[in-house]
Amino acid sequence: MIDLRGRPAHADTTFRWLAIAAAGIVLVVLGLIAVIMTRRALPVFSEMGVHFFTSKRWSPADELYGSLAFLWGTLYTSAIAIALSLPVSLGVALFVTQVAPPKLRRPLVYVIDLVAVIPSVVFGLWGILVLAPHLGRSFLTAGVILAIMITPIITSLAREVIETTPPGEKEAALALGATRWEMIVGSVWPHSKSGLVGAVMLGLGRAMGETIAAALVIGSALGQITANPFASGNSMPAVIANEWGEADDLHKSALIALAVVLFLITIAVNLIATAIVRRSTARSRGK
Amino acid sequence: MKLRLAIALAALALSCGKKDDGGNGGNAGKTTEGGGGGLVTLDASGSTFQKAFEEVAIEAYTKQHPNVKINYGAGGSGKGRQDLADMVVDFAGSDAPYKDADKAKLKGGDVLYFPILLGAVSVSYHLDGVAKLQLSPETVAKIFQRDIKKWNDPAIAADNPGVTLPATDITVAHRADGSGTTDIFTHFLDGGSAGAWKLKAGGTVEWPADTQAGNGNSGVAQIVTATNGAIGYVDLSDAKAAKLSYAAIKNAAGKYITPDAASVSAAGDGIAVKDDLTFSAVNSKGDAAYPITGQTWVIVYAKPADKQKAAAIKAYLAFLLGDGQKLAPDVDFAPLPKALQDKAIAQLGKIQT
Amino acid sequence: MSVPELADLRARRSWRTTKNTIMMGVLGAALLAIAIPLVLVLYSVIARGAHSAFAAFPDFFTKEIPIVSRRPGPGMGPAILGTLLATGGATLIAVPLGVLGAVYLHEYGGTTRFARLVRFMAMVMTGVPSIVMGLFVYVAWTIPFGYSAFGGALALACLMLPVVIGSTEQMLKLVPGQLREGSYALGATKSRTIITVVLPAALPGIVSGALLAVARAAGETAPLLFTVGAASSYNGHLFSGANTALSVQIFGNATSAFAPAQDRAWGAALALVLLAFLFTLAARLFTARFATKR
Repeated sequence: MIDLRGRPAHADTTFRWLAIAAAGIVLVVLGLIAVIMTRRALPVFSEMGVHFFTSKRWSPADELYGSLAFLWGTLYTSAIAIALSLPVSLGVALFVTQVAPPKLRRPLVYVIDLVAVIPSVVFGLWGILVLAPHLGRSFLTAGVILAIMITPIITSLAREVIETTPPGEKEAALALGATRWEMIVGSVWPHSKSGLVGAVMLGLGRAMGETIAAALVIGSALGQITANPFASGNSMPAVIANEWGEADDLHKSALIALAVVLFLITIAVNLIATAIVRRSTARSRGK
Repeated sequence: MKLRLAIALAALALSCGKKDDGGNGGNAGKTTEGGGGGLVTLDASGSTFQKAFEEVAIEAYTKQHPNVKINYGAGGSGKGRQDLADMVVDFAGSDAPYKDADKAKLKGGDVLYFPILLGAVSVSYHLDGVAKLQLSPETVAKIFQRDIKKWNDPAIAADNPGVTLPATDITVAHRADGSGTTDIFTHFLDGGSAGAWKLKAGGTVEWPADTQAGNGNSGVAQIVTATNGAIGYVDLSDAKAAKLSYAAIKNAAGKYITPDAASVSAAGDGIAVKDDLTFSAVNSKGDAAYPITGQTWVIVYAKPADKQKAAAIKAYLAFLLGDGQKLAPDVDFAPLPKALQDKAIAQLGKIQT
Repeated sequence: MSVPELADLRARRSWRTTKNTIMMGVLGAALLAIAIPLVLVLYSVIARGAHSAFAAFPDFFTKEIPIVSRRPGPGMGPAILGTLLATGGATLIAVPLGVLGAVYLHEYGGTTRFARLVRFMAMVMTGVPSIVMGLFVYVAWTIPFGYSAFGGALALACLMLPVVIGSTEQMLKLVPGQLREGSYALGATKSRTIITVVLPAALPGIVSGALLAVARAAGETAPLLFTVGAASSYNGHLFSGANTALSVQIFGNATSAFAPAQDRAWGAALALVLLAFLFTLAARLFTARFATKR
């Protein structure tokens, strides 16, 4: 008995430390990414200084690297994608969970989850060979491809969130004579709001970081800052993918610097999302 | 505990993987156990310009030598040079030599440049009703930086006496990705247009905003095919594959020359070659030379870290510079001029095996 | 409620019911709005892909990739093997680590500062663009050790790890506390309880979450572009030698000027979509089993 107790205790500690180490890997990897990438990006930061962020001129021939236009392109295409995708994915998620006849629900959910895993390179292939010849290569084309890509993902997440609405609340609304729409607005929406923000933010993160699909159809114009959706532009990940092959020293450093900035933006988006979710859950608890 | 075992196994396998590479630092491809006569894999990366030639050459060579495998990843010249510098690959394909500043970063010591072919970049266009077009470098420069916006511009008309040009708008198509093709084309404009070209030379260029970009040669070809009034620069082999029309370009001797194997080879005759076999074939002086002719090298270390691979690299290069040259016209490239070919073959002896 | 009253209500179409009908229509329209482009995409992939992938069945799935890309003919075998190697390797790395990490977060860490930090960082990590992971592994692994399927596996594992942690933690939350208490009452230690009681109870959910992560990873391009190299022949070695993958082949061939290469891109796209669907369906089956068990 004593022997038995002694050994498991030892194994217990080992297991515990193993688990802590596994969790710590996340921090190690993120730390490594930050350190290694920043070190490689340093040459361009020291060369360009603040102009890396404020200038829109990107000219490898002159060794001038300003990322402002690509930041704009990333934000603009993501905004187009979210604007197109948000109403559609919320609509579909609500339709599937609240409106569709019960018999249809399961197959619909299956199909949505299935299309959510279609790889982005497949959308890129379709974009460049089928869509671009008709629509041209522009912010809009990239936004549309991104929207098609993230809609199933947001829908799939939104559905999971919406399904957590307690059936009691929904039935109560219906019992009080609410129409189905009023039930959605009155019961489902307040309950799912914060979760939906999370779902959308995840979609936004995907759209901003998406490389291949955007790289193929965005048009790759340098220095374009315009609200005209039909203009060619560029986004940060697309620039990295398109220019990496022919990049020399400082140019390569500039591309890695773009990756670092992109990384920081995704962290910022995550922080904002967390803050929104926390505030709205706190408010609904306060009620 | 199974999980732990799995991790331990993974770690073990990992450390074995490292040890396999031995002291040589370079590690591309797998080396063979059990010595001579085994399978040798050569990894290479670089220029997309020479990709089509590498493909047919590798196919022909590995058919003769089934114990050799060669992987050529066409990720761009810059990537090829970087990969070779880091010893990630056994040889690089590149349309440009290393810059002096980069030479210190070569982890494997001195490198050798082997020119393997010459190739043309076509100025392809799509203009209904115009079957033949001639352009001078100044006009090409003005078109591509959008100083000229209509096809019936006097400058174009001056290059094409007797041709009726429509008032169609010009659509300029260029590469979206950084590219050796862009590099060759812009070097031609930079050096040949008597100062008309303002956008400088390089693999990535600040094109005016009202131009269109396509990915790869096919992307540019696609835009040209789809748009009446479009003009773009496309590798000759891809331009032919996409059935594009292309212009005759005025060369340094003042003659309008259409790109083909003869005019491209002719470009190789009128150039100054340095001792390390680097040179530029763009804007060649020859009378019959096509001016937008690009060069491309295979770059290897003079002392490859792995002896067995060194022998394989040498043998493959001997093939590229010998029998392999006959394959170049099949993919619309031109073989090296004889003098250059001989110099390159002589240099093979410098690879230490 | 008496019958006449009901009839009354139905007869009088108030603004409320009209609005309801309109909004239901709008929701239905949303379904159409997303269905149309997705059907178009899938139609292209299936129509063009099947033409190239199944015209010479099973050669497309077994033959090596033609070295000369402009030549017609089948062959994506090495890319399929490469994709399986890279995702398989990534799974072996990310799933054990992710599950252990989640065990720490839920069973040990709870709301401690370290656990909250890890949880937040895992969320940050899900947002790291895949091309950043690719560049990171290129710098940290490929430069010192060369191209290999393992480099791709590492990059994919970085992408999968936070997803597995997240989904596993969710599943652990669903394991009832009584199970743990029962185990403790029988004298089991915490680690023993976790290994023999908690994890088995959550297993179907964990597997399903992992499979979904695998399905996502299998389709990633950017992380593989910089790390696996460019082989056109079979390479079964995980740790050495250039390899290739379906997604990389699609990206490369999509920008080719030659129709045969584009055909192979469509074929590879179909193969990749089928592979991703297969993993998703497997995940579904596990979830279904989980649901009936509970």
